[in-house]
Amino acid sequence: MVFSKETQIYRQDVRQQGTFLTPKQREDLVKPYMPKSPPMAAVAQKPMSQPVRSFARNSLHLLVFTIIHAIFSVYIRIRQTYHIVLDRIFAILYYHHRAPELIRQDVKKLSRLPEHLSIILELKGEERGAAGLGALMDEAAEISAWCACVGITTLSVYEKTGILKAYLPNTHRAVTSKLHAYFGRRIPSLQIGAPHIPSLLNGGSSEELDQLASPQGHLSILLLSADDGRSTLVDLTKTLTEMSQRKKISPSDISLDLVHAEITDSVMGEPDLLVLFAPYVKLQGYPPWQVRLTEIFHMQDNSGVGYQVFLRALHSYAKAQMNFGR
Amino acid sequence: MSSMHLSQVRRWLLQSPPVEWAILQLRELLIGALRQGPVPQHVAFVMDGNRRFARSHGIETVEGHNLGFEALARILEVCYKSGVKVVTVYAFSIENFKRSKYEVDALMDMAKVKLLQLAQHGDLLDQYGASVRVLGRRELLKEDVLEAIDRSVHLTKHNKGAILNICFPYTSHDEMTTAIRDTVIDYSAPLTSQPRSFSESHITHTIRARRLSAATAILKVRSHSPSSGGTSDTEDSMSSSTTLHQDFPTPATTAIEEEEEEDEVSELKKFQRDTYPDPETITSEILSDHMFTANLPPLDLLIRTSGVERLSDFMLWQCHEETDIVFLKCLWPEFDLWTFLPVILEWQWKRRKSVQREKTPVSLSQKLVKSA
Repeated sequence: MVFSKETQIYRQDVRQQGTFLTPKQREDLVKPYMPKSPPMAAVAQKPMSQPVRSFARNSLHLLVFTIIHAIFSVYIRIRQTYHIVLDRIFAILYYHHRAPELIRQDVKKLSRLPEHLSIILELKGEERGAAGLGALMDEAAEISAWCACVGITTLSVYEKTGILKAYLPNTHRAVTSKLHAYFGRRIPSLQIGAPHIPSLLNGGSSEELDQLASPQGHLSILLLSADDGRSTLVDLTKTLTEMSQRKKISPSDISLDLVHAEITDSVMGEPDLLVLFAPYVKLQGYPPWQVRLTEIFHMQDNSGVGYQVFLRALHSYAKAQMNFGR
Repeated sequence: MSSMHLSQVRRWLLQSPPVEWAILQLRELLIGALRQGPVPQHVAFVMDGNRRFARSHGIETVEGHNLGFEALARILEVCYKSGVKVVTVYAFSIENFKRSKYEVDALMDMAKVKLLQLAQHGDLLDQYGASVRVLGRRELLKEDVLEAIDRSVHLTKHNKGAILNICFPYTSHDEMTTAIRDTVIDYSAPLTSQPRSFSESHITHTIRARRLSAATAILKVRSHSPSSGGTSDTEDSMSSSTTLHQDFPTPATTAIEEEEEEDEVSELKKFQRDTYPDPETITSEILSDHMFTANLPPLDLLIRTSGVERLSDFMLWQCHEETDIVFLKCLWPEFDLWTFLPVILEWQWKRRKSVQREKTPVSLSQKLVKSA
């Protein structure tokens, strides 16, 4: 970047705490960058006074806009293709083969792992009903298995509609069978729950399995939906309002710590890493209170759950440094 | 600065008036072109990377922040010219008070100087039609900074074209807590029953008096209601007499009015003890209206520079639904039209795609309806 004379004069002014230039001189400095007239007036007057010129300018802008977007969509297709190819290569290079040892090998070098991993899944093909639900459950189960292999103890699965919550026992069964596929007979103990719904510990599995499983570690899964986002905060407000109306608390008692404690207890704490399996970062109503310092990972142009995405998320998390506002 | 090591020739060339003019025209052309498509109405920036920029270029931290301010000015120009209505920037987090005193003071000084300069150029801001708002915990700021804020906010208040929100000491958790607290305060205020011109007691009196007058009309006897006792006795008799004799002497009427008023006050007190707005009517929209960004268009685009992929307590309530969040690798002082352009283009491209997707099922169903 090359700085114009104006910029240099401006910086001289900044260095002297704004004493180098008079207000008048400063205005002259920015004059060439100002819009010709107030934007409101421009809309009202321009077409009246110079119809031909404004029409020509508009057409020129439209032309440039079309050209830019044509070029851009070519660029985006190339980029998408590139990313898909890259994704395929990664998928082949890093395949888990349903072997916990291999997965552990893949993350051995990482300096740190998230304790609480969160993922956003999407229910696809809503009109197809059961097929969409099955696919969703399979994705959730697959990721749970990877987490269990890596040693992540808490996994929260966000899905906007909350359909998994409605099928909690089925989800538990799906995850358990997936864990069996990875670990064989001895699987980690598994707890699946959702806010305000009693959780299932080791589901319908037998007692002896429970005892066998404990040395393999533990995985607790939390199912979230859009109801655990804004609505929770609204519910908290309602409760606080009621208490305040009955003079049980005064509004000044409502502090950040109180809200934080309540939200953490009723839904969950802040996850360390949030992985999106979507091409863009869009939170779709994910609980707002908890994403404060969460590392958000997504892969450009990737759509779909894949082991390579999961692995890259963990790698990028290990590299990320935190500095808490300092 | 690596860019400062450019050869003299190139610098001379780029600084020559025709080239400078051409670059300016190109910028204007691109911005004008951007206007042709959908433009995000509300854009938020996390201005991250000033210090890292300073560190990597071997300049002072404060210099880095100054360069960051220049980047902000550049990008504001692009935003407002291309039709963005609201720009929200994360200038200072409450957590940032933990930084070294020297840096905090320097940042505060910078804010003060810039805001005061802003106040000197009121007419220029009018040309953009932009107003400045400061969101955050004001009470954490020093007097002189507050004064500067108030001056520039006041000076630009009348502008409606565009808004610049400066989040200055701000965190989203704090904002949400404040919104909850304010909502609770709003809902804990007892409903002040509007002083209506009718009082319940008066109506019952009238009804009773009506019955009595009907009775008296038959009996032709002046009634003193025997059933009621105590204070209401006199009142009853009075009101019944007023209904009977419209030409009653004035002092008596004032006495009635006084008593009515007393009655009303006690009734009001009783009313206030019980009635509050129903907490069940609280919705997320009401909470939204208590956020700092109340009445602003929804956040369309959130951009964070410097490759950090975290929200860091910024606009959580506003961005967790439909907002496109973009993390860029470049540091904030390097942020410019040329880095902003791809982001906007991709946003426009996505918007057009989603519009197309929405349209197709509709047109299909329309066809079906037509064929049927």
